Amino acid sequence: MADRQRTRRRLPAALVGAALLLAGCFGGPAGDDVVTLDYWCWSQGQAEKVAAFNAAHPGIRVRHTDAGGGTDTATKLLTASRAGNAPDIACVEYPTVPAMVVSDVLRDIAPYTAEVTDAFSPEIWRMTRFEGEVYGVPQDIGPMVLLYHRARFEELGLAVPATWEEFAEVAEQVRERDPDSHLATFAPAEFGNFAGLAQQAGAAWWSVEDRRWTVGIDDGPTLRVAAYWQDLIDRDLVRPEPLLTPEWNARLNRGEVLTWPSALWAPGVIHGIAEGQAGDWAIAPLPHWEGEGPEVALQGGTALTVTKNSEHPREAAEFAMWMNTAPEAVELQIASGQYPACRSGQETAAHSPPPPLTGEQADYWEVAAFAADHTVPSISWGPNVSTAADAYNDAVSAAVRDGTPLPDALRDVHRTVLDDMTRVGFDVTD
Amino acid sequence: MTSTTPAADPAPPPRAPRRRATRAPFVLLAPALALFAAFVLIPIGYALFLSTQGLRIVDEGVFGIRDEVFVGLANYTQVLGDADFRAGFGRLALYGLIAVPLTLGLALLFALLLDNASSRARRFSRVAIFLPYAVPGVVASLMWGFMYLPSTSPFSHLTERLGLGGIPFLDGGAIYPSLANIAVWGGVGFNMIIIYTSLRGIPGELYDAARIDGCGEWRIAWRIKIPLVAPALVITGLFALIGTIQVYGEPTMLSPMTSEISQTWVPLMRIYRDGFVRDDLPLAAAGSVILAVGTLLVSLALLRVTQRRAFGGVR
Amino acid sequence: MSGATTPRRPRLLPHQRARLLPTVVLLIGAFYALVPVAWIVVAATKSNAELFSTFTFRPGSGLFDNLGDLFAYGDGQFVRWAANSLLYAGLGALLCTVISTMAGYAFAKYEFPGRTGLFYAVLAGVLLPGMTLAIPQYLIMTKTDLVGSYWSVLLPGLISPFGIYLARVYADASVPDSTIESARLDGASEYRVLTSIGLPMMFPGMVTIFMLQFVGSWNNFLLPFIMLSDEDRYPINLGLYTLLAKGSGEPALYGIAIVGTAVSVVPLICLLLFLQRFWRLDMISGGLKG
Repeated sequence: MADRQRTRRRLPAALVGAALLLAGCFGGPAGDDVVTLDYWCWSQGQAEKVAAFNAAHPGIRVRHTDAGGGTDTATKLLTASRAGNAPDIACVEYPTVPAMVVSDVLRDIAPYTAEVTDAFSPEIWRMTRFEGEVYGVPQDIGPMVLLYHRARFEELGLAVPATWEEFAEVAEQVRERDPDSHLATFAPAEFGNFAGLAQQAGAAWWSVEDRRWTVGIDDGPTLRVAAYWQDLIDRDLVRPEPLLTPEWNARLNRGEVLTWPSALWAPGVIHGIAEGQAGDWAIAPLPHWEGEGPEVALQGGTALTVTKNSEHPREAAEFAMWMNTAPEAVELQIASGQYPACRSGQETAAHSPPPPLTGEQADYWEVAAFAADHTVPSISWGPNVSTAADAYNDAVSAAVRDGTPLPDALRDVHRTVLDDMTRVGFDVTD
Repeated sequence: MTSTTPAADPAPPPRAPRRRATRAPFVLLAPALALFAAFVLIPIGYALFLSTQGLRIVDEGVFGIRDEVFVGLANYTQVLGDADFRAGFGRLALYGLIAVPLTLGLALLFALLLDNASSRARRFSRVAIFLPYAVPGVVASLMWGFMYLPSTSPFSHLTERLGLGGIPFLDGGAIYPSLANIAVWGGVGFNMIIIYTSLRGIPGELYDAARIDGCGEWRIAWRIKIPLVAPALVITGLFALIGTIQVYGEPTMLSPMTSEISQTWVPLMRIYRDGFVRDDLPLAAAGSVILAVGTLLVSLALLRVTQRRAFGGVR
Repeated sequence: MSGATTPRRPRLLPHQRARLLPTVVLLIGAFYALVPVAWIVVAATKSNAELFSTFTFRPGSGLFDNLGDLFAYGDGQFVRWAANSLLYAGLGALLCTVISTMAGYAFAKYEFPGRTGLFYAVLAGVLLPGMTLAIPQYLIMTKTDLVGSYWSVLLPGLISPFGIYLARVYADASVPDSTIESARLDGASEYRVLTSIGLPMMFPGMVTIFMLQFVGSWNNFLLPFIMLSDEDRYPINLGLYTLLAKGSGEPALYGIAIVGTAVSVVPLICLLLFLQRFWRLDMISGGLKG
């Protein structure tokens, strides 16, 4: 207990952003006084960031564990939380945050986070701040962009599509000019990607007010986007198959995949599969719907959350804030290929060299910043996103396999999600 | 009874009399029984209890949080009422109908050939066919997965060279034989060894008599060898069946490669999803109970049909 | 049956005539078994780019890079996984063998109240799929705060109803009651009877139980997958699975996973080849010979 109080007295000063580095000078506690925090995160570059934090904070020692990718970490976090041995801080993908709150895994850290309020835009805060309660400090974001194979585009004489209508036309041209290639892949198990495309069109899959939920996975914009992709599949203009399988990777290496409408983290992924194509790719703004603005959704991205199991929420919150706002941490983050969630980080990124895959693109960061500045303001996720995600993956896979319409599959997902929420006892309207 | 008196059973059993009560058997059994209670009986009891609980929303926090309450048999009606869970058993049955007979049939065939004095390369073949047993199922699925995918498949490579096009291992109904193949590949060797060692235990005079009567090798195999190794076949069949019901790793590993395999493709995948992905352990507990009861029933039915030959030797 | 033989050789003896076909069938079986193993060895030599772009069975140029990456990954995490697997499978199987042998010997060689009932309970345990127990076991582990520890994977592996059943069969078949009786008449204690008569006679059976349990634990995926969250405690197959799962976001890890698979399969194959001479698998089919 004495330890705890000493730490508390020491910390308020340390919480001031710029003064963080001074924290070590306050007392410099030896051995037993050190607060040890466990931290789970799977993304690259974490070890370096944690080492930098530990070096700057002699009173806190953070132990980093990689508990597997986003889905595995979420699963294990639930498991560990129920067993009472969750880590102090965990990396959680934005869509999963509400589910973690409902499962009583996360702690409200609003009391500690006042000084980083302005470090993030309100759109970003929407992902982790609900009615004034803060359940995580945003780490990275994935504004959606169109990643395209510039060399192949030039070879086939294609123009980069600005709208989805043009996208369909270019898809036709690709099939005419190179029958082995497709403009894009429609991946049936990419819930997050489709959610982003639907949100761009104006879909609101979940919304909540005073604990009353509304679910709209079968709303107009969603069905319109589903019908659009169904049409492309029917006309063999996009290839329906899972992404990132050895099969898809081989196709990519042969230059038969021309675009990947996804997010800012995508160049790193493609680079890992097809190193030989470094410099051949570029990003463009994600196509928008004719007559609508250039706003895009976010696909992917994570926040650092503090668990209820943690005995040191203050130190844990301090760590989460430092990792995502301290200049030193943000530089390491950009070097590892992540696009920071904080405003200052995004500015720093603008002066960095582009990732190797798009190394020849001079305006890479301008395109990136444009996407980040034009995100859909009203994204919110529900308490059973994992149910929705696997209902989506199964229903859409079945639809693609059996040739049944995608809009029907989305209606099924809607029904499943609604039933699940009703069964568990949420106050929910259709 | 003192520990030095030789036991004398009133009704003499077929073998020598057994030792009567000392403390020794209990000391010897204690660790096994303690572990059996801790990791079999108590978990079963707790699973039964938990399957009557449900996670429901209570008023707390910004969205409400989920808490455990008694829901009676609601989890069972939910699981049994789910058409996809029942369909999972159907998929399992189809998979098992391919995997189990093939595993046993090939194991028996290879065992008979190994036992056949006129075969060559027996030692090499025995070791080679047995090797896959050492490869974990997860790893085997990965290797076969690469060999199924059109662009990395050596088989499709070959058929394409011949102008026949690729082989769609992972599309449509082909997924069943493709998955079963992984189980067959991993299981044939082990079962073959069991049957083979049983064959080696058959006295050679039996064959000599048959040969004098003019029986060929295949007639000997059919008339003498197979009936004599029937108990080995029953027990290998039983384990193949239990193994089938537990199939999890193989379809899970292949599911990212094909849209044929859903997250609930077989019952155990669904149970895992309910418990860990959807964070609904009570529902998973109910699914586990149903699956365990189903397995027991199927196993007992199999043993009854085969007249309990497998465990017949131990009373 | 003999139609496949050459017609030029006259007067073949019956057992010679059948030679070709059985041999060919056996060799096809061996080929079928070895193809994927060959694949993994070849794939281990490929760099990531070659893995997805060159013909499956053409060796690549990346073997040493892959090996270097494998042992460098996560500060030598692969070696740690191997050590963990050895702990779970090796130590677990050893203890399980001792426990099963003691119990099986007790069932076979002593009369005591409740013997039949207890044995039937064990038999029922044989029929119960281990996987369906994994989730209840997990629940118990959370209640006892053992989830995530080495114990959570080791302890459930110590009890094997099938091992107990086998031990009883081996004890019945290989330890004659008369030998035990004469040892007792010579004044040997129950402990001495077990250690100096029972165990040596049951040794081949114990090797078999050990081997079955070792391979079972080595292959067990769901139990550690559920129980563990710290990668440093993973067994090797879970580690490889994690690499692959991450590989879809970070494909550089595919190469590591594949070379890791090759490296992990080789010692197990050697162990099997060495131990198979001690096996008593004929006993698995129970009272066949009793």
